[in-house]
Amino acid sequence: MTVQHIETPVIVARDRDNVVVGDEIVRHRRATRLIHWSVALTFFIALFSGMPIWSPLFGWMAYLVGGLEIARLIHPYAGVAFFIASIFQFVHWLPDMHFGEDQKGWLSGKALTYMRWERVEESGKYNGGQILFFWAVCLGALGFLLSGIPMWFPLYFPKWVLEICILIHDLTFIGFVVGVIGHIYLGTAAEPGTFGSMTRGTVTRKWAKFHHPSWYKEVTGEKK
Amino acid sequence: MSEQALEIKRSSAAMWGTKTGLRTKDTVAKYIDTTTCIGCKACEAACVEWNDLRTVATHQEGSYQTLPELDAQFWNLIRFNERTTDDGGPMWLMRKDQCMHCAEPGCLAACPAPGAIVQYANGIVDVDPAKCIGCGYCATGCPFDVPKFHKTSGKMSKCTLCVDRVEVGLEPACIKACPTGCLQFGTKEEMVRLGNVRVAQLKKNGFEQAMLYDPPGVNGTSVVTILGHGHPEWYDLPVDPHVPWGVRLWKQIVRPIGVIAAFATVIGFFMHYTKYGPKEPPA
Repeated sequence: MTVQHIETPVIVARDRDNVVVGDEIVRHRRATRLIHWSVALTFFIALFSGMPIWSPLFGWMAYLVGGLEIARLIHPYAGVAFFIASIFQFVHWLPDMHFGEDQKGWLSGKALTYMRWERVEESGKYNGGQILFFWAVCLGALGFLLSGIPMWFPLYFPKWVLEICILIHDLTFIGFVVGVIGHIYLGTAAEPGTFGSMTRGTVTRKWAKFHHPSWYKEVTGEKK
Repeated sequence: MSEQALEIKRSSAAMWGTKTGLRTKDTVAKYIDTTTCIGCKACEAACVEWNDLRTVATHQEGSYQTLPELDAQFWNLIRFNERTTDDGGPMWLMRKDQCMHCAEPGCLAACPAPGAIVQYANGIVDVDPAKCIGCGYCATGCPFDVPKFHKTSGKMSKCTLCVDRVEVGLEPACIKACPTGCLQFGTKEEMVRLGNVRVAQLKKNGFEQAMLYDPPGVNGTSVVTILGHGHPEWYDLPVDPHVPWGVRLWKQIVRPIGVIAAFATVIGFFMHYTKYGPKEPPA
């Protein structure tokens, strides 16, 4: 038996969600991963062109995009690209992002115990925290866009609108940056095996059983 | 610029507070007496000529006023306002409008580009086009609606108080051109003294509401204006100008909180990792 014979089913399967192939389960199909990385890429271009304008403390980031003036020029376009990617993301994930009875624990103080690695709830494909993060990101993208348009064309809006928009853009960013740092932490170092679901698209059975037991049962058809 | 760099009092987006220049100087100021202005617009012409600004197309809008407002290529504008006096007579008000060169400049506070807006030791507030990124934040921060966006250069532009003339001991072009002496130039102290004398004189002559406009909300301006009838709003001036609350809130509170929050989050998760480690299934 050659390697090819083993790999082929996985390659085919990686185009479809929730498929079990041997010891692996496809968690994010190719389309999902492409959308996720489109959002991430446009976000980081917007981040590197926006942060040097936000505070001179991050002025060095301007060099990554060709200077502060270029940063001011490309930031709105990067922002629009980010919003468009976010629309795809919203439509794509929406069916999985309903807040059910199971997720109620995530709306109480119990949610904080997650960070002590305690189980807040019996988790389906996405736990309550992930669903909350999804909605926060969608709301954030909308907040960035609506407050960003007047900042893009400051000559055509009254001064008080701009004052409020700069403030909203800032507050949205602060929330976003805290959320994204947490998102990256939980997706990489904090929960080993998770990052592969966004690169290769697959997770191990063991990972699925541990992190998302309800989803694991659903996908594999196992009783317990 | 190298000579002027010695005379910086304040600079936009300075990370750890501005390093001031070597020199300290007396604050300079323009003196504008609206009661003796005849609306001849010599100052407008002198400004355009000295600063080599391109002529802006004008339209008849039922007023003597050259343009509805200041322009990126028109930094000095006589504003004409018509009112009726209490006894039914006509009142024709003229005021020279330009950058007020605030001691507490809202434009400089709002500007995100390091060094794009500077305040020299003599109080002149200037835009450095080489560093300006054309974002327009200064226009949001200005209580007098002065900085304007110049479309072809992509930079903000406004009155420089003829810093290039003042630097070599000349008076600004507008002052030089004034035929009635309603415009004067000197140290701020001297101009305020002159203004107080003129206001007292006006009050004695029946202009009881005469006032010297040097708004304390922006810590005073380097333009001292005599308003014969009081009421700054009659002359298109804000009654109590100050740096907008939104700009202060954003610059002085939200931004520092945001920077701290970002770093605290990174440190927080690092500490979390050292305490709880990775979340892995039991072996």
